[in-house]
Amino acid sequence: MEVSMEWDISTLEELEDKIWRCTACGNCKTAYKFGPPPEFGEICPAGVEFGFDGMMASKGKIAFARGILDGQLEWTDSFLDAIYKCTVCGGCQNQCELDHKPFIPEIIEAMRRKAVSDGVGPMPAQRKITQSLRDYNNPYQGPRRVRTDWTRPFKKAKKPIKNINKKPAEILYYVGCTGAFNLPARGVPTATASIFQKLGLDFGILGENEICCGSTAMRIGDAEEFKRVAEANLEMFHRLHEEKGVNTIVSSCAGCYRAIKKDYILAADYDKMMEGIRVVHTVDLLNDLFKEGKLKFTGELPLKVTYHDPCHTGRHLNKFEVDEDGTKLWKGAYVGVDEGECLYDVPRDMLKAIPGIELTEMERIRDNSYCCGGGGGVMTGYGDWAAKNASKRIEEGMRTGADKMVSICPFCHYNLNEGAKRISSDMELVDLVELIDQVI
Amino acid sequence: MVAEGKNRILEELVSIVGKENATAEKHIRYAYSYDLSFVKPKLPDYVVMATTVEQVQGVMKLANREKIPVVPFTAGSNIGGLCIPERGGILLDLKRMNQIIRIDVESHYAVIEPGVSHAQLAMELYKHNLRWSWPVGPPSASVSSNALCHGIGGLSGRYGLNSEEITSMEVVLPTGELVRVGSCAIQEDSWHSVLPLPQLDGLFKGWLGTSGVVTKMGVRVHPIPPLLKVFTVSTHTLEDMTSYMVNLGNYEICDDLTAVSWWLSQVPIPYPYIPKPDAAPEWYCFGTTFSWTEKEKEAREEIWQNVLEEEQKKGTSIKYADYPEEALKARTQLPSQIVGSTKNYTKMAGGGISWPGTFTPANKWAPVYDKWKEILIDHKLSPSVRATNYRGVHYGMLRAMIPFNKKSPEETENARQAIVECLKVDLDAGGIPYKPPVDFAEEINRRAHPGYLSLLKQVKNMLDPNDIMNSGKFGI
Repeated sequence: MEVSMEWDISTLEELEDKIWRCTACGNCKTAYKFGPPPEFGEICPAGVEFGFDGMMASKGKIAFARGILDGQLEWTDSFLDAIYKCTVCGGCQNQCELDHKPFIPEIIEAMRRKAVSDGVGPMPAQRKITQSLRDYNNPYQGPRRVRTDWTRPFKKAKKPIKNINKKPAEILYYVGCTGAFNLPARGVPTATASIFQKLGLDFGILGENEICCGSTAMRIGDAEEFKRVAEANLEMFHRLHEEKGVNTIVSSCAGCYRAIKKDYILAADYDKMMEGIRVVHTVDLLNDLFKEGKLKFTGELPLKVTYHDPCHTGRHLNKFEVDEDGTKLWKGAYVGVDEGECLYDVPRDMLKAIPGIELTEMERIRDNSYCCGGGGGVMTGYGDWAAKNASKRIEEGMRTGADKMVSICPFCHYNLNEGAKRISSDMELVDLVELIDQVI
Repeated sequence: MVAEGKNRILEELVSIVGKENATAEKHIRYAYSYDLSFVKPKLPDYVVMATTVEQVQGVMKLANREKIPVVPFTAGSNIGGLCIPERGGILLDLKRMNQIIRIDVESHYAVIEPGVSHAQLAMELYKHNLRWSWPVGPPSASVSSNALCHGIGGLSGRYGLNSEEITSMEVVLPTGELVRVGSCAIQEDSWHSVLPLPQLDGLFKGWLGTSGVVTKMGVRVHPIPPLLKVFTVSTHTLEDMTSYMVNLGNYEICDDLTAVSWWLSQVPIPYPYIPKPDAAPEWYCFGTTFSWTEKEKEAREEIWQNVLEEEQKKGTSIKYADYPEEALKARTQLPSQIVGSTKNYTKMAGGGISWPGTFTPANKWAPVYDKWKEILIDHKLSPSVRATNYRGVHYGMLRAMIPFNKKSPEETENARQAIVECLKVDLDAGGIPYKPPVDFAEEINRRAHPGYLSLLKQVKNMLDPNDIMNSGKFGI
């Protein structure tokens, strides 16, 4: 399929003015909150692992971007490696207060886009992702038919899940490739569909016709591949709204959710394509139903848990205010941030509402959550490091005395469990929907 | 041959610190080539991260043998270009030596490694209701580097510079030899005091990383009294403000007594220069004072009220002034993400900030400021100036925070010229710059007593016979 929509995806050169707004003060290198009491924590997975200033936080990445733009830095294998050794978690962005703050992940990804357009990126292991996207419309090299394997128990139990291409439904459950193809993460769609069925929601899935949201392609700099799948999805969402009555898209995947909410809006046709459709994360939907009294907990889970905020449902959903025309502060000034869409309280509220659950918090949470290490293409490109970083997060969870760690992202689900295995920890990461499914 | 030599050096560095901690890759070196200041970027030839004292010694021995410059680096957040490698060489990044070795809650000192950040120390000290003299800088900045370079903080009005709070040090000399100064030199585990021994700590304090690598440091920390009061006034002139600050400073009741010009009280600093509104006072002052009891607080307030009345009777322009809540926080706690930190000073200009930062006696503040104001406005820069009393009225600081657009070489050079011009004015008035870039060092040396320069050279030569430590920084 040819790309046909107009997209507002910046090149590195277009971001040059923002790049020069960085003072190199290094505020981004560690997380800090005033308090009292003051709170400090490491925030940059790449900085923790690799240490050199260039590898660390936005200060380092901005240095790389400057070096590219001023012609001092040319592509080498190790330079590329350094650019891709970043989880694009936004932890550094959360510390920054300068005018380039809203654009920090964009600048990192723009370097990757430049690497891809120059024919040198992404990293070899990541090329499998984009090739797989071209061949299979998913990053897991999974044949289409495998996409519905997780639904077999439902068929067997004579509770088949509606194929939205054939039957209309108000809710499209957009499963996502990780939940569908990544075996350890399949519990996420299974629990989601089970809950929806128990609640009697009118929902359907795309089944074998679902294609990747494009998030991973975007994160590793392959904007063309992202646009291809994103346009196909936007057109499909529009058609489903027109023809099948879909008015809500639900995602249990933080990556898909972030992509549809924040990357798809870069399409000029976004408003037209998404008119009449709202996009929600599963826990948001369930929380609404809980508050309306439609979701009731009937069981009890005597568990002490801690909650891991995924980057993509947390700080990546920040809405930044930029003074574009200089009427408020000055042209291009970063004015403020709205965290209203960040899913910090909703999952915690749901956890606390489950009878028997005791929520205990880790040191680094909410906007200063420490990334699991799997984002930004790192899980594919640098699996060992991703798992090693996840081990650090698991250890942080273990220090709370919790029995389990809970999250709302299949990527975090897979990676944190890999991290637990790596250090032979009993700590298991479960998705919030997996817990909810047990008690309704 | 050159490449072969570089490879050999890199191999040796790798053998000391490990493959993952030594590199000559250009992109890694590039990230250490510039900082916030106007100082021209320069690349190191190698970057090395040490994690142990033995590794630091190994690097120094190699560098000394090969006569390779070494630039010690912790966070690189100073605004004097102090970590820019003037002559290339090895950039020795110490951020991974970041252990808080001890907090002695009875004797009120902490022992830290060079990579310990203000944020890290703040969190740990607070657990014991203790504090440090937090500077107005990024939380990621290094405590020991700030102290070594005569940094200041929110307790400097009471206790003096952060360098005066150093109680002991372990140092690797440029030759690789390990030495100790202060009580830890006599008893390995004793870090409480530099005195009554000869003050050999002076061989490393204020030397801008040119005399050795400090690998452990003892620093005094202080209890946090529960009651804070901030005295805030405004005046139309710095003469009037100086009169008030000297008067109040006599009583030695403030942890911090600082005045800022209207332009510095704006966050961010206006860039380019704009005139202040006519009705707005030109100077604002805050004096922080902490008390253990309400009665003590009332007594301190009484002193302040008396001083204020005395100043008003003199017919000066002094008035009580409000000070924004968030700005007060910035003056009393470790700044982060709020007004008052360096990053916010500069954001309107775009990426660059530097200063004429000086120690200047209070009686010279006003005449120097008047000239600075002329120079800065002439360069279309805001006279965003700060004046602070240290240790009561014993000495004072005068500095201008000058943001500039780093993307533009012309605007950067404009700022540099203005800053150097300001510096000359201050030097001629008897002030002394601190954390000076090389441009400043040359101006200082031009005015220095020959005996001072000779002594400086002799000491430097004794400690660093091959002139490898942060070479070129002193302009000697």
